[in-house]
Amino acid sequence: MNEIPTMSAEQLGMSKYTRRQFLKFSGAATAATAATVLSMNDVAEAAITRPLPLGTPILVVVTLYGGNDGLNTVIPYKDPAYYAARPDLTYKTETLLPLSDELALNPAMTGIKGLWDEKKVAIVRGVGYPEPDRSHFSSMAIWQTGSPKTHLSTGWLGRWLDTQKIDPMTSISLGSVLPPLLVGAKNSGSALPLGGLVIPSGVYAQACDQLSKPSRADNKLMAAAALSMRNLFSISGNITPILSQATQMSDDLPTVGGGNAGGDSNLTQQLNVVGKLIAAGAPTKVWSVSLGGFDTHANEANAQAALLGTVSTSITKFLSQMKASGRSKDITVLVYSEFGRRVRGNGSEGTDHGTAGPVFLIGDRVNGGFYGDQPSLTKLIDGDLPVTTDFRDIYSTVLEGVLLTPAEKVLGKWNGRIKAIKPV
Amino acid sequence: MDAKRLEIARLFNRFAFGPRPGEFAAALKSSPANFKNSLLNPPVVDAGAPKEPVLADLGPRPAPKSADSEQFSQALRAQKNELTLWWLDQMVLTQKPLQERMVWFWHGHWATSIGKVNYALPMLTQNQTFRKHALGNFKDLSQAMLVDGALQVWLDGNENTLKAPNENLAREVMELFVLGVNRYTEKDVKELARALTGYQVPRSTGVVTLNQKRRDTGAVTILGKTAVMGGPEAISHLVDQADCQRFLAERIWYRFISSTQPLPKDHPLINALAGKDITQGLTTLLNGKDLANSKYSTVKSPVEWFVAVCKALELTPSQLNSFSKLNGYLDKLAQIPFSPPNVGGWPTDEAWLSSASAQFRIAFADWLVKQANLSTIQAITPGNRISYLADLLAVPEWTARTSTALGNLQNNLPRLVALAICSPEYVVSQ
Repeated sequence: MNEIPTMSAEQLGMSKYTRRQFLKFSGAATAATAATVLSMNDVAEAAITRPLPLGTPILVVVTLYGGNDGLNTVIPYKDPAYYAARPDLTYKTETLLPLSDELALNPAMTGIKGLWDEKKVAIVRGVGYPEPDRSHFSSMAIWQTGSPKTHLSTGWLGRWLDTQKIDPMTSISLGSVLPPLLVGAKNSGSALPLGGLVIPSGVYAQACDQLSKPSRADNKLMAAAALSMRNLFSISGNITPILSQATQMSDDLPTVGGGNAGGDSNLTQQLNVVGKLIAAGAPTKVWSVSLGGFDTHANEANAQAALLGTVSTSITKFLSQMKASGRSKDITVLVYSEFGRRVRGNGSEGTDHGTAGPVFLIGDRVNGGFYGDQPSLTKLIDGDLPVTTDFRDIYSTVLEGVLLTPAEKVLGKWNGRIKAIKPV
Repeated sequence: MDAKRLEIARLFNRFAFGPRPGEFAAALKSSPANFKNSLLNPPVVDAGAPKEPVLADLGPRPAPKSADSEQFSQALRAQKNELTLWWLDQMVLTQKPLQERMVWFWHGHWATSIGKVNYALPMLTQNQTFRKHALGNFKDLSQAMLVDGALQVWLDGNENTLKAPNENLAREVMELFVLGVNRYTEKDVKELARALTGYQVPRSTGVVTLNQKRRDTGAVTILGKTAVMGGPEAISHLVDQADCQRFLAERIWYRFISSTQPLPKDHPLINALAGKDITQGLTTLLNGKDLANSKYSTVKSPVEWFVAVCKALELTPSQLNSFSKLNGYLDKLAQIPFSPPNVGGWPTDEAWLSSASAQFRIAFADWLVKQANLSTIQAITPGNRISYLADLLAVPEWTARTSTALGNLQNNLPRLVALAICSPEYVVSQ
């Protein structure tokens, strides 16, 4: 059984991810260890027995699936070229949230605007990579592996995990599927499904336990199936339930117009759980959450505003929830998407796949303000925004400034940095 | 491991949604060749098929908060539930299991979600299109999908016009449906989008029409060919590419043989699909050596697992005691028919094997087994029950670990069966 899909260069289209591989990684098939799915109780127990020391920096990565329209997130509201390119897609000027003389936030992002005013938001403009790929799956694979040119089977945070001691708690993704982002060569992140687990008990539990033991006759997938059951029973059922209160599952988001490129729909709930576990002391340095629905080919303005409203409100609520825990100053939030969208509206009151977009860094340790140049709306490349900042500048900054790890170990030699993170 | 048992088990598990009681043992007594033959040549009339639902056109959605709004939502939900149950019944009861398995395959290939389409009627029509062409020619299927209302709504075909081309459908046609990623340029996507302009579809019926006024009738250049092309010509042009044949072979390989090992470069499946005849491709695949090769294991997706359990235990999905429970379990296992997670279709293998899904599978299994008639197993002496279960469930071989675990429960029938269907040997098609 191969651990890693052995695709020929030809099948990869020389050096690009195929969607099949992306899904493969999404399925965590390449995870170095199969023991990567945790229960709430696992994390709760770890939080009690070996809490993360206060003051340890924590990174929360928010992935927006579908290609978030950067131009309607951070809006060049004084630029006539903006209104000319997308007359159907603009918001009323008086509803915009001005950040400067040139740029304003989407009207729905009031929470993040508040944090911006407190100088806790860095907006990196025009972020992308050379030779942009407009496939959702290929481009997301590039962002998550951190490698635009050569095909890598590991995610950038997975490679960071490889520099850490092996501990399934170090990095956790919310939801039952591990994103490629957290797949390392020898160490991988864990997946934490939402919703409480009910564990069988008594004689039945013993039989289940027996059934989940490793067997030499197991092939790789059978071993993984056995392990997934074993994890259920490795926890005693009576740990103080930190998450005893059921979290609301009703974050009802519009998917019309943007719902066919993956991602979860319950960001509020994911961040709520992350917040509770951080407050409880979970020994986790990197968290991954996601929101889907940004593939707004049609009727974009309302749908995107609803999605960005969720992003803004849930992040703001999460950070304010963190204040009481004494850990708010440790947390940095990174928000990105696989690409921005075409400058010109497509006439369906939406936009097609594009290139560069803004990336957000949010938290007490962030030097608020703009970074990177705003891409010109008049010097487009094939109708798309030119990339002004390589995403590896941000990754390098986060690796060194937040995760306290030399970027070279993860990204190879890379010189670009932004000064968006305050020194420890 | 017994090679014949392995091959027949895989034929059942991957190409037929598992066996009914007695079928595995009968196939074993016969030969893999005979069984393949019966899969490829099913009865002409599907005596098992449940009656297809007749869904009324619910018309446009009433204004929010209007008097009809609540009733409309209820009708929408009721149709969706009826549709889901009907298809699950069809998977379990059909006498043409290979055809139905291919309907399931095409549903994952042209992955369209009712989450955006909203209406059940276009989803039913799409499902019927899959069934009609399931084992036919991919050229015909592709042409039918071009004017499929659900797919057009899903990928904004409605919005793709001369004045304002929308690339959503064109891109996925190239990337996910016909050619495969990186087998075209960005320019090709834009040009294909132009060729696909002009289709219109009312959401509630899904009946596609072509509006000449919205069509871009200029010449387009797609994959090196310049001509005035409408949708049908453009699709024909794509399907005629050598890459289409290779892509189809890759997708069939990925779903039926292995999602981790790549399709060997010169695999006979590729040539067999030269004419895009799906039956010819499957015949070659079934008669090849891959099914007897122990390295190619796969995980049953939740729906495949559920349907196989229903067949083995002679349960009918629509007769289960609660639709909302059934729907809830499938939801927790993250696979509800008609609701794929994205346009790329369902995940594979390890994605289905989390601790959360293990727990939900145990609860689901308990719920199902409680509703099954276990008298046949009851009649078997306890010492023979475990080997009987291997045949009932088309498990090639129990490991010593599982034999021991099941042995401890051989006097507690419901638990014994529930545990057997949650075992690694059953969850995985070895």
